Amino acid sequence: MSLTAASLELGRSGVVDDVEGTDATAVRLLEMGLVPGTTVTLIKRAPLGDPLQFRVRGFHLSLRRAEAARVVVTEAKP
Amino acid sequence: MRVAVVGNPNVGKTSLFNGLTGARHSVGNYPGMTVEQREGALASKWGGAEMSFIDLPGTYSLSAVSEDEAVAFRCLRGQDVAAPDVVLLVLDATNLARNLYFALQVLELQQPTVVALNMVDAARNAGIAVDGEALSKALGVPVVETVARVGEGLSALVEALRTPGSTDAIAYEAEGAGALAEGLAALESAGCARVQARWLLCTAAAETLHFTGVDPTAQAALTKLGGEVCRDAARALIAARYAKVDALLAKLDLGKATESAPAMAASERVDAVLTHPVFGLFTFVATMALVFVAMFSWADPFMGLIEDGIGALSEAVVDGLGPGLLTDLLTEGVIAGVGNVLVFIPQIVLLFLFLGLLDDSGYLARAAFLLDRSMSRLGLHGRAFIPLLSGYACSIPAIMGTRTISSWKDRLVTMLMIPYISCSARLPIYALIIGALFVTTPEDAWISPAIDRGLILLSMYALSTITALGVGFLYKRTILASPTPPLVLELPPYRVPRLANTLSVVGDKTLAFIKGSGTVILAFTIVLWAALSFPREDTGAGGDGPTRIEASYGGRAAKALEPAVEPIGQDWRVGIGILGSFAAREVLVSTLGLAYGMEADEEDPVKLREAMRSDRDEAGKPVHTKLSGLALMVFFVYACQCMSTVAVVKRETKGWRWPLFMLASMTLLAYVAALLVYQGGSLLGFG
Repeated sequence: MSLTAASLELGRSGVVDDVEGTDATAVRLLEMGLVPGTTVTLIKRAPLGDPLQFRVRGFHLSLRRAEAARVVVTEAKP
Repeated sequence: MRVAVVGNPNVGKTSLFNGLTGARHSVGNYPGMTVEQREGALASKWGGAEMSFIDLPGTYSLSAVSEDEAVAFRCLRGQDVAAPDVVLLVLDATNLARNLYFALQVLELQQPTVVALNMVDAARNAGIAVDGEALSKALGVPVVETVARVGEGLSALVEALRTPGSTDAIAYEAEGAGALAEGLAALESAGCARVQARWLLCTAAAETLHFTGVDPTAQAALTKLGGEVCRDAARALIAARYAKVDALLAKLDLGKATESAPAMAASERVDAVLTHPVFGLFTFVATMALVFVAMFSWADPFMGLIEDGIGALSEAVVDGLGPGLLTDLLTEGVIAGVGNVLVFIPQIVLLFLFLGLLDDSGYLARAAFLLDRSMSRLGLHGRAFIPLLSGYACSIPAIMGTRTISSWKDRLVTMLMIPYISCSARLPIYALIIGALFVTTPEDAWISPAIDRGLILLSMYALSTITALGVGFLYKRTILASPTPPLVLELPPYRVPRLANTLSVVGDKTLAFIKGSGTVILAFTIVLWAALSFPREDTGAGGDGPTRIEASYGGRAAKALEPAVEPIGQDWRVGIGILGSFAAREVLVSTLGLAYGMEADEEDPVKLREAMRSDRDEAGKPVHTKLSGLALMVFFVYACQCMSTVAVVKRETKGWRWPLFMLASMTLLAYVAALLVYQGGSLLGFG
């Protein structure tokens, strides 16, 4: 199983490889800057464990686990 | 000269619009869409009417993934109405790494464009070396540095808008190869311009072509290309745009802003508390409690003032004209109707003031972040929470507040849920019935009279809450089925909200309510007044004759329909009350009073309670019992006895279909529930 933004450890970063699926959400994620080569960092989980908060391209983006799991990443070296 | 203001959400677009325009705005809907847009003329200090501004919804993209974005693109391209003369593109200087993506989409349109590089102060404070001149060179359009919140740079911006110049075409290297080249070629040979072709490819990949109003030739070309090509083409295009953004950032010497978020450093420290598992939830509950208390009690004195004013006006008319038909029409129809509209304003203003301030400060996004988990179980977005909560005070502002929900179906589900939530207008009814029929003597009490009454009241609130959630759950899975909306939510930097800014928006929305729903509410009031006042024969009321209301068309109808309310344990007097209280639920109390032959101005609840309690039928049995009282309360928990709710839903949904569905379904449910309570209770021997 490949690593996704949802499976990052808190504080860890990954480099986007791909956004899976074809639908409005996929296009939205790409247009928010999650294009291949972009670094994403998981900085927080909401009190109930979901959604997640990421730092990407100079801003903070919140995604549910379900959406974050579509963002395939390669773990960046800490 | 018409200027369209566009930009990402949270970039200060509204501050800029408010700063550039005078105090007067008009709020309208984009033709055929639910998307709202504000328009205003240039403030007179810069020349006034020569320039007008359209504030388009803030979006992250121009691809038609949502209705807002479709509207922004179609407006800029002039597809439905004339294209604007100039595009004012607002960019957030603290976050060019994402804002420039949108900027490229706007520049692709090749309309005369002026950039407002906003929040340069915040950027510099965060150590980001933004430079308007360098950005202007890089983008090839005029750039004006602004701090819209304090009005800095606005004069220079107006000057720049007068002489915008032209915008160069943008081409991407990636457009020469692969799926993207194939897709563009196919659409261009179907007659699309390059920008239109790019737009359609991205929209096709998002499967949201229904927002685009695409013509059949282009549609055929897209179908022929197939989903795979559209998907790959859109991905290549988005990646190419971001590659260009990165190149621009490098040129501007802003570094690779993808790794850190310097402008978010302070916000991260605030978030350590405000989205903390314990303190965050605590703050959230406290904030909501404040909103709730404000809507419930702060609005009260103002509503009282409005009611007093209306009363004084009525008296003045009576004094001036003397008694007569015209006086009655004016006081009980027209002035009462105007009062029925105005009385909502305090709560509308308070809710939108809070929503506006919370949104401006960045907290609303955090509230959605905290609440999303529980709301998504229901299938709704975290943003649905505040409108639902506001429903406990009043449905009218709550329904207007659903505009923060972006998915249309989810907004409708929320609008249909809200009227089930027990609003403050139901309280006088519960109070009347509980006071008249329950715990009338201390020996009657189960624990103590006060606690018993409180528990009955609480159970009505519980019933309404459970039903609202159940109805939402049901609609979301049946007639308004749609997947739980994805959460792709920016958590913007915290900012101190500007009261003047929010007030301007609140004022516009309140005026829009008066204009949009006021006429319907006024018309309903006059029709109801007529139904309960005609024919105007002298009935001999006061003696043994029937009361005036009993002899009216409405009263006769209620008497004729008594067999319909009998199964739910009510008599014709309550029938008249139900009819009259369609104006507003609390009117039940005064209408019942009239039906019991009390004068309109002696609204003495104690007397009415006594009259209800001691009312006997021909066989000498009490007309109103605990069981019939319970059935009536349950009826009012469910029934849509509020013409203003119907009027406001009509306005928000642009038609009669949904308000009529709401009215019919709620009334049916109310009747069935009251029937079950009364008949079930009778069978079990509680009668």
